[in-house]
Amino acid sequence: MRIKDRHMWIFFVLPGVLLLILVLGFPAITSVLYSVKPEQAGDVSYTLSHYSNLLKDPFFKTIFWNTGIFVFLSVGTHMILGLAVAMVLNSALPAQPLFRLIALLPWVIPDVVAGIIWKWMFDPIYGAINDVLLKMGMIQSSIEWLSNPKLALLSVVLVNLWRGFPFVMLILLAGLQAIPKVLYEAAAIDGASNLKTFFYITIPGLRKMIVVALALDIVWEVRRFGLIQSMTQGGPGVLTEVLSTYTYKQYFQFFRFEYASAISVVLTVVLLLVSLPYIWMISQEE
Amino acid sequence: MRPSTLIAKNGLYQTVIWVFLITVCVYCLFPFVWMLSTSLKTEAEAFRIPPTWIPLQPTIDSYIGIWIRKNFGIYFFNSTVISLATAVLSTFFGALAGYGFSRFLFKGRRFLIGFFLATQMLPGVLLVGPYFKILSRVGLYDTRSGLIIAFLTICLPFSTWMMKGFIDKVPNELDQSAMVDGCSRMGVFFKIILPIVAPGMIATILFAFLLAWGDLLWALCLTSSERMITVTLGIARTVGEFRIIWPMLMAGSLVGGMPAIILYVFLQRLMVQGLTAGAVKE
Amino acid sequence: MRKIVTLSICMAVFLALFSANLAVAAQVTLRFSDWHLTEDVWNKSLNEGMDIFHKRHSNIKVVLEPVSYKEKETKYTVESAAGRAPDVFHVHAFSLPMFFSKGFAKDLTSFIEKEGPGFMDAWYPLPIDLMKSKGKIHAMPGDYMTMVLFYNTEMFKAAGLNPNNPPKTCDDFLDYAKKLTRDTDGDGKIDQWGFGTLGSKSPGFSMRFGPFLWSFGGDYLTPDMKHSALDSPEAKEAFTFFVELYTKHKVIPPGLTAMGAQDVRTQLAQKKVAMIMGSGWTPPIVNKINPDLKAFEVLKCAPAPTKRKQATAIWLSSWVMSPTTKHPNEAWELIKFITSKEIELKWFVDNRVTSSRKDVSGVAPEILNDKFASVMASQLPYGKVEPQIKQWPEIIDTFTTSLQEAIVGMKTPDKALAEAHERINAILAR
Repeated sequence: MRIKDRHMWIFFVLPGVLLLILVLGFPAITSVLYSVKPEQAGDVSYTLSHYSNLLKDPFFKTIFWNTGIFVFLSVGTHMILGLAVAMVLNSALPAQPLFRLIALLPWVIPDVVAGIIWKWMFDPIYGAINDVLLKMGMIQSSIEWLSNPKLALLSVVLVNLWRGFPFVMLILLAGLQAIPKVLYEAAAIDGASNLKTFFYITIPGLRKMIVVALALDIVWEVRRFGLIQSMTQGGPGVLTEVLSTYTYKQYFQFFRFEYASAISVVLTVVLLLVSLPYIWMISQEE
Repeated sequence: MRPSTLIAKNGLYQTVIWVFLITVCVYCLFPFVWMLSTSLKTEAEAFRIPPTWIPLQPTIDSYIGIWIRKNFGIYFFNSTVISLATAVLSTFFGALAGYGFSRFLFKGRRFLIGFFLATQMLPGVLLVGPYFKILSRVGLYDTRSGLIIAFLTICLPFSTWMMKGFIDKVPNELDQSAMVDGCSRMGVFFKIILPIVAPGMIATILFAFLLAWGDLLWALCLTSSERMITVTLGIARTVGEFRIIWPMLMAGSLVGGMPAIILYVFLQRLMVQGLTAGAVKE
Repeated sequence: MRKIVTLSICMAVFLALFSANLAVAAQVTLRFSDWHLTEDVWNKSLNEGMDIFHKRHSNIKVVLEPVSYKEKETKYTVESAAGRAPDVFHVHAFSLPMFFSKGFAKDLTSFIEKEGPGFMDAWYPLPIDLMKSKGKIHAMPGDYMTMVLFYNTEMFKAAGLNPNNPPKTCDDFLDYAKKLTRDTDGDGKIDQWGFGTLGSKSPGFSMRFGPFLWSFGGDYLTPDMKHSALDSPEAKEAFTFFVELYTKHKVIPPGLTAMGAQDVRTQLAQKKVAMIMGSGWTPPIVNKINPDLKAFEVLKCAPAPTKRKQATAIWLSSWVMSPTTKHPNEAWELIKFITSKEIELKWFVDNRVTSSRKDVSGVAPEILNDKFASVMASQLPYGKVEPQIKQWPEIIDTFTTSLQEAIVGMKTPDKALAEAHERINAILAR
């Protein structure tokens, strides 16, 4: 062989790296440069004013907090429901493929479309959900899912759960099926309770898949845009405004390209910090 | 599989599980039932207050309408070609990179893995503008190829991550013994690894397919002519300034979800197999 | 070896897809974009218009590019920033300041001058003003309409109100709205409300709030447009009046902050509300939503309710020529055609939109004899427009945020308005 095997990694990894650099490099650098450009072309060529404005922005703190809560609730519910459904699907169940298909269905609907449809279903006057609940006698008057300040964010999370849990479920299901039966049998023989089995066999066995699902889901949910935009546009007030919708507004509605870039840089940095532990964990295992 | 003894142990346990399962099914299916019901209504009936569940005047008008009045055929073609090409290409290159990360402990490895993931964190909103400029300059604006390249950058890190996971499960010994027998590294990759992780590749392809299919922002900004519209963009278009044509929106959404569902139904055995590959090895 | 084969296949696929997209060069081709192309009636009307244009200008081919209403600014921004905007495109007048500030609209002065003196006399002065950037016309005015009060005459009669006597003052309006908010099927629950309006963050929102604000004597900004004017007693009054329609008098259906224009029209069409603010587009859409309502017969319209003076919001669209167009002369011919007297009348007859041309809206019998258009045209002199500054989208967004917070009860109207006032001043001070 002409090339030492040690160096062969270049051929494998480089195509992907090159593609990413070539295609994303220019926009990414442009954005960072934009974020330090002054809003009015003046005498100063670089300025950190957008970042300091961000800190002074009365909405920024709320939006940052909203993003945190939204991501925490979304990812959390994805994991819990995903795991629960995966465990049920993993047990001796009739018509398993059918149930698996049903659990996967929400995922085929793009998030913007899901937002549009659920918004309609949530409507207090002609929405299907209030209609059913009223007819079943479960509520006395229509619930204002998206207008009630206490419910708005939760309603959005509810839809995000519907749309997003299938992915986590599928990954965890695969992970579950990879846990050797032998371990469960041994536990049963030893008389272990369900709870103990869960914590000492299931969870550790799933560890790798959980980390993968968590890392991906967190990144995706911080970037979640279409769903929220189509349902509430960040309202009422700023109750459902998150960093992605805020950036969109600044860029495409207010035309403040520079400020939007600054917000995105902050967003990217935060994401990097949050996901660093996962990357470290994954690469650790080799 | 959980030993069935666990379930038989407790009748209450079984009831709880069934109740849970039914609840989840209702949660998942409820919107689809509503979508189906609405798609079979006339436009006027879709707006009825209170809403009807079984259409009083059922019609398949909207299903015909999306193909005839709304060019759904073109949207479908575009979405399928673009999503499939993206999925296949990203999975292939992802497998390459995944193999590289999996088998070689080179300097900067962790950095590059982090780099792949970091690219996922750039918000699409920001990239669209500059990206659009690049595409125009190389003449790939308003083309399927341009969209494919754009989507590749979203799907590639994801595919790499997934494929690395699958390849990790294949023991290094296989590679080593093959190379001892005179196989080149590339040969190992193509002849040994790929066939084993093929089911995993199928799973990744499906996931990447869905990622590309559901995108709206890039499809919107990187195309302009009617010939290039994707399904997701086409559906978003039915939300006009003055009207939302609900039956068509619903029909379009349902029909738009079919390729993914069909892919899944046919590939599911392979997919689940792929995702659990390596179980025997553990 | 296999890798080379695979790569070649990939390249081949790429090339195949790419070459399939190469455009075939022809005569002068113009790209024309309009959100109306996504709507059935307008689409037909625009296509007919283009056929007429093609017959008169056989060397020009117009390619139609639809765009969805919500996404149009996004698309045009991205395309303009890359120098690839359509040759001619249609935007709201209120987007113009931003397009102007980024240099995305071509100066039309030289074209207008070539048409001879007095060319612009045919248009109302206010629309022309709104097309100007630094004193020069950078876009041509299109549809020009006013917001008026639409009401359901049958629901009036059922509530004991005279359908020929619509409410004129804001106090009457509130009174009527209360009488129209009732339980019609005797089950103890209110199922009909007096007034339907927008509460979500959409462009149509400020158009429906503006008439109230201005009629009370208040305004968003000071005349020099450098400070917020929301701390005036009149502004506070108007704000509180509007908020209390929902929170105190409950004449607006629940869920206001999620309601967009489409929801409000649906409510009117389904007889859930008796009155809404609307304009020329309202009757045809309502009719399409619920033909059984017989909208054209049952609905009537009246000037917006007044408090201290008559004022209403205007809706104005505009035609922009991209500064990077390769065929400016042909693009001007297209714009001239679309805004010509003959074609503007066509837009009214087909789509019920009144024109910014005086020689159409003030004069055409089709408009004067139409029960809706005549009212709308009569209000054109009282039309007021929002401040045309580039910070406006951010200002109105901040304002709507505060309004929403007051509506859902998170803050009192006074506190919410005071916060809006502060924030808007901060925006303007940048």
